[in-house]
Amino acid sequence: MTIQVVGDVLHVKAPDLRFIAGEALNRLKNGRTVRFDFDLDVVAKPGGPSVAQGRESFNLSYDLWEERFAATRLGPPARSTSHLTQAHVETWCLEQVMVPVSALGRLGADASFWLRLAYRVVDRDRPPDANADERFTLRSLIDMLSRRRSAGDLGAVLERGPFRLSH
Amino acid sequence: MSIEMSGFDRDRLSPDLRKEIDGLVGQGLNRQRTADLAARIEGEQPKVAVAVRAVPLPDNKARVIFLVASIDDQNVESNVNARYTVESVEITGVPESRLSKGLRDDLHALVGKRLDPEKAEELDKRIAGELPDYDVKRQTSKGNQAGQIRLVFEITEGESLQWIHFAPSRSEILYHTDQAWSGALDIPMGGRNTRVVLGFAFGNDDHLIEEYGGIGFRIESRKLGTRRLGMSFELSEDRETWQPSTLAALEADPSIPEAYRRRLKVEPSMTFAFNRHLRASGGVSISELESLSRSPDSQMASAFIVAVGFDQRWNQASGASHDLELGYDLRFGSTALDSDLEYTRHLGRARYRFSLKNGDVIAGFSAGRVTGAAPLFERFSLGDTSTLRGWSKYDIAPAGGDRMVSQSIEYRYHHLAVFFDSGSMWDAGASVRYRASTGFGFHGDQAFMTLGFPLNADELRVAFMMGVRF
Repeated sequence: MTIQVVGDVLHVKAPDLRFIAGEALNRLKNGRTVRFDFDLDVVAKPGGPSVAQGRESFNLSYDLWEERFAATRLGPPARSTSHLTQAHVETWCLEQVMVPVSALGRLGADASFWLRLAYRVVDRDRPPDANADERFTLRSLIDMLSRRRSAGDLGAVLERGPFRLSH
Repeated sequence: MSIEMSGFDRDRLSPDLRKEIDGLVGQGLNRQRTADLAARIEGEQPKVAVAVRAVPLPDNKARVIFLVASIDDQNVESNVNARYTVESVEITGVPESRLSKGLRDDLHALVGKRLDPEKAEELDKRIAGELPDYDVKRQTSKGNQAGQIRLVFEITEGESLQWIHFAPSRSEILYHTDQAWSGALDIPMGGRNTRVVLGFAFGNDDHLIEEYGGIGFRIESRKLGTRRLGMSFELSEDRETWQPSTLAALEADPSIPEAYRRRLKVEPSMTFAFNRHLRASGGVSISELESLSRSPDSQMASAFIVAVGFDQRWNQASGASHDLELGYDLRFGSTALDSDLEYTRHLGRARYRFSLKNGDVIAGFSAGRVTGAAPLFERFSLGDTSTLRGWSKYDIAPAGGDRMVSQSIEYRYHHLAVFFDSGSMWDAGASVRYRASTGFGFHGDQAFMTLGFPLNADELRVAFMMGVRF
């Protein structure tokens, strides 16, 4: 994982990260929409609390005729792209996940930091219930334990560092 | 190569882009270049979505068609295939007549229109609602005509309709006032009809007299050429620990086979299903028991195993359902298998559940009989998180018993439960004492939290139990 600062925002590049894989890829090739949620956290030390965070969600789909991927960053503002190969759409999504450089000021000047990138596949077959009680309940515990593993449980967390911004 | 643009006036494009598109004429087909041009069209015209289709022509030529559709809703942003028209809708796995007319009409109304992903997902759910015992999977694929797609709703029998079921998961984390924590974890891997299960047990003393922990492996298939025939092969190794009261009881009764420190089990079996509800199994269970007091000496406890099972659900129009499960197991330890222990173990069980909206009535009954010198893992015990709740198995019979009768009835409303358990466990020739208990708690299908009270104990006591089974 490498970082890139463009203007006042920090992006990450992870050319080896293949998050479109397995069940998520199967669903895409089957013409379904798959939503990916990304969290990019700046942390002062490995496993530490987040100092600054960037968060983005994307709807990905696979064009059955063109055999290319399309992605929409869920707004605001929404932004879309299409006709991309798998590697290109993965790169495009990561480019949209950013953290303001100004937020890193809390770490102190020239302080090194780590980045934690987490992504998760959101199962569209189980949309959140708008009326659901968000509190922890025994019912929610049962639901969690009785759920079968699905695309909605796929995801990963990468933590890399240390990084330092040169001024 | 020739060029065609469908659904859009090309004069609305910039001259440069038109020139680039015209530049494709007479050139060889370059898919990357046509894809780039489609992206540029979308870049210039944000209200359209573009797909490219290359149609082969005679003489090694091709026609490239830019299919342009205007975006007038959120569907294309949600799924790029929403720009395509549904060519056909097919339902596989069950006759269409199994679906209501309204649902069939709505499914076929998709044909000829652009794909609406939200509508398609809604129809998935409606099919699943009308066929609750089936799994629904939607496949979307290219149609025969360029720019058209086919929708196939694949409906397959769900777990409850399988003729042979996989062994139920043994995953659980349990707490009992008298037995402390017990745990087991099954990790199933595999497909629809064949799977491998890696199993772990951690200090589990909820089911047997012994407390065991170890690792196991099981491979199961429920379709060996036909769904009537299945097989299972299980290998496990457990380490045992014993309650002092159990060891004392064994010392007092030399007729009970000795305790062991390690149990290695191999259990191959075959299952035949007569129909969806009735099945029979047969096999052998070979166990090597390493002596607790004379290690590394060991005994073999090897048995022929036979089981018959029946289950059925009846659904009523009112929404009520009745589930009935019946089972009979016979295990026959024999010298024909070089077993050091000769015994016969019979176990019969029945379970009935009536469900209506938020209420359930669950009744269970089991009875068992052991003759001969059965190893300790074959002896019966009552007084755990599912039988005679409130009693402790080590107070009732620390070395278990060779006769057992148990019943339970429970009523649940919104997962709040009250129950009444009773039963008895004894050794042949000894006096029989019936015990009863009652209690209440939160009882979900996976999680529970219970307070149990023995009704005819010598002292007032309360047992707290909780856990999850998943």
